Amino acid sequence: MGNKQTIFTSQQLDAYQDCTYFTRKEILRRFHRYRDLAPQLVPLDYKNQPEVRLPYELIGSMPELKDNPFRQRIAEVFSEDGEGNMTLDDFLDMFSVLSEMAPRDLKAFYAFKIYDFNNDDFICKSDLEKTLNKLTRNELTEDEVRMVCEKVIDEADLDNDGRLSLEDFQNMIVRAPDFLSTFHIRI
Amino acid sequence: MRRMSVFPQHGTALGNLGRTANEIRQEAENSKNVLVSDLVNLSAGARFQAIRSLPMPFNERKTVRNRVNSVKLSKTILTADCRQQVSRSFRRFCASLASARQHLIIWQDTLKEIGSRFGTSVLSYFLFLKWLLQFNLFSLIINFCFITIPQIVHAPNISSTTGFRGLELLTGVGYFNQTVLFYGGYNGEVIVSKPAYNMQLAYFFTIAAYLVLCWVSLIYSMSRSFQKNFVLETGPVSGGAWRLLCSWDFSVVNEKAIQYNKNNLAIQLKESLSERLQEKNKMSLSDRIKHLSLHLLAWLLSLGLALGSCAGIYFLGTDPDLAFSFNHNPNDLRAEASTLLLPVVVSLINLIVPLLYSLISKIESYSNPRAKIYISIIRNVVLKMSVLGILCFYWLNFVPDNISCWETFVGQSVYRLLMIDFIFCLLGIFFGEFLRNVIGTMCIQSLGVPEFDIARNVLDLIYAQTLAWIGIYFSPLLPVMQVLKLFIIFYLKKISLSMNCQPPKHTGRAAQIQTVFIALLFFPSFVGVLSMVAYTVWSLKPSDQCGPFQGLDTPFQTIFHWTDSIQNFPESNWVWWIFENILRSELFYYLISLIVLVITYFLWQITQGRKQLIKTLREQIVNEGKDKAFLLNKLQNLQKERREIASYRPQDFDQTPHFNPNWTNTLPLNM
Repeated sequence: MGNKQTIFTSQQLDAYQDCTYFTRKEILRRFHRYRDLAPQLVPLDYKNQPEVRLPYELIGSMPELKDNPFRQRIAEVFSEDGEGNMTLDDFLDMFSVLSEMAPRDLKAFYAFKIYDFNNDDFICKSDLEKTLNKLTRNELTEDEVRMVCEKVIDEADLDNDGRLSLEDFQNMIVRAPDFLSTFHIRI
Repeated sequence: MRRMSVFPQHGTALGNLGRTANEIRQEAENSKNVLVSDLVNLSAGARFQAIRSLPMPFNERKTVRNRVNSVKLSKTILTADCRQQVSRSFRRFCASLASARQHLIIWQDTLKEIGSRFGTSVLSYFLFLKWLLQFNLFSLIINFCFITIPQIVHAPNISSTTGFRGLELLTGVGYFNQTVLFYGGYNGEVIVSKPAYNMQLAYFFTIAAYLVLCWVSLIYSMSRSFQKNFVLETGPVSGGAWRLLCSWDFSVVNEKAIQYNKNNLAIQLKESLSERLQEKNKMSLSDRIKHLSLHLLAWLLSLGLALGSCAGIYFLGTDPDLAFSFNHNPNDLRAEASTLLLPVVVSLINLIVPLLYSLISKIESYSNPRAKIYISIIRNVVLKMSVLGILCFYWLNFVPDNISCWETFVGQSVYRLLMIDFIFCLLGIFFGEFLRNVIGTMCIQSLGVPEFDIARNVLDLIYAQTLAWIGIYFSPLLPVMQVLKLFIIFYLKKISLSMNCQPPKHTGRAAQIQTVFIALLFFPSFVGVLSMVAYTVWSLKPSDQCGPFQGLDTPFQTIFHWTDSIQNFPESNWVWWIFENILRSELFYYLISLIVLVITYFLWQITQGRKQLIKTLREQIVNEGKDKAFLLNKLQNLQKERREIASYRPQDFDQTPHFNPNWTNTLPLNM
């Protein structure tokens, strides 16, 4: 396999390969997708680790994400600054976790963070209501929204503190074998 | 593998109580050090998996990885470079192998596209199709290599009695009669070559080996799918919860599909809410009797229809004018066309009766929609398997007495059934999906776009595969047809899906239905085929004029002749001994059954014990939650008291213990 690429050093590619679920070829392909979002901002030479951060608007306009109701939360969870502006590392990390090779625990962890809108490490009722509104386009009435959220917390809250912790969420994921294939974005 | 417990603890009040920022940072450093030392102690493969699955931001993961590498480096200074290089290049090689393998998997991109537009439940139909294709390809390859090629190379000169006319492609008779397509084209000589190649044994063992491999593969897939998808339903049965949070399909990127999924989710949530309200109304006795009698009526009607179709097929098959008229006048074109009558009737039954079933199910009312799906699947399976059963009965009981080369006749019947089934499938795509879409969108708006009915399509696939498996003994090259058919159906269904249909509305529990389909492929379908082939090989007399087993009483006698022949060789005496004393004695099978039953009983007891354990652990979690809330409360009250005291009298709030030099003054006065 000839290392004809001049974008990364060999050590950088090894580090990427060790820390994500991608092979070298896939990393280079993802890099080109990243660069295609803003060719004038992203240099072709990453050997000096330039500080390049693409704004959220560009990330949210990718065809894989643009119609996803959770695109903003996904970008916020994976970005370093928490606002959705992503460096190349964040970008690779995001698609690595969302690829089909990531294990269930890792995906459950990040799914939990995505659904936790107020970042308090618990999914409380307001988080659930926001999730439901994003998913059903305001088709349910206020009462129905409230009832569904109560039902969810009833069923999933094991330690009875009125909100879902990470363990409750993971316990629920175990009972949904479809999760691995649905929490997956192909790029 | 022990889970790396790096899930963040901050945010819990207990975690941060009474700590300064420094202490928190110190604790994070400590946990990271512990993590690094844990990782260093793992084996290389496990280490890389563990690093990749650390739930921390990318930069921290990279730091951890660099620290682990430097620790490993410092530990093995001398051979570090060499070993690291070797392991790195090995990993690169594995990665490139994996990516090369990805290119070899057929339809990889197409399947991705289907999944992204229609979701995972529709994708499961296409994955099932691909899996069946693999079975048929494998069968084709081994049959071709081990049976057909030797026969072609050493073929006796058989001149075909009739020229090639177009109708052969549909009916399989005439020109194809004596070719290697069917059983009759093979003969059972021992081919004289350097190692003598016994065609009889080759035919027998190839088919047997293929069936055994299918058996093993089906059981393995079934158990894996069961393990993954049927989880214990102890605790609250999840209705709305998982649907909300776990089943949103992130992989769908098509805008229309996403809107569609949103609508669906809203409808399903509303249904589950109304179900919850309805659960509370109990039905009165007369209502229950009414529902029960309606169910009974529906079942009677369905079974009656199935029985009626079977009787019709049997009488059509044994009608003396129709059945064997072609065999008596081989050159009559009309007689040849009349052989197509039976397959057309069978396909019509398979088309019309399920529609009648769905009409019948409208009169019943079900407590939940999943029961409806399962019951309709059961009825369709009963219909299809009874049709196949009656056909097998006809082929194995009626045909051998009336026709000379009966295996070839059976092979040709199976071939015709498969061809007509394929043609009906094409017609079904055209009329059922394309025209219905046109009618639904342009003429009668209320009908709407047709839904892609996964259950019906998968059952059609299972039916065709059962036919193909039945036909393998009688027509070794039949998998060619099946492979071509599956290829064409894949592309046609994909095109029809994108142009005409919409994804099904009730997509819940797709994984469980997958398991049910694999189980259906195993239980009535494969087991039935196996018993039919076993009966043919064990008890039926093969035809005298054609085929590899001419002149024997049953095809199984080849094994007896073979073991008799190797009895004389001292090296292979053990094979004969195993065959005579173990495989042919009944005691061996009793013992095996006993052992299997005992093991099953033990495993069942273990499952029961684990269920009990889960229940106890759940109660423990609830109790821990209560303890935590109680302690939290107490701690917060204490802190509040401390703060209040500190705010009133700061000079008295002095924690250092000081020694009172006048302690003697504190003694009681009357001492």
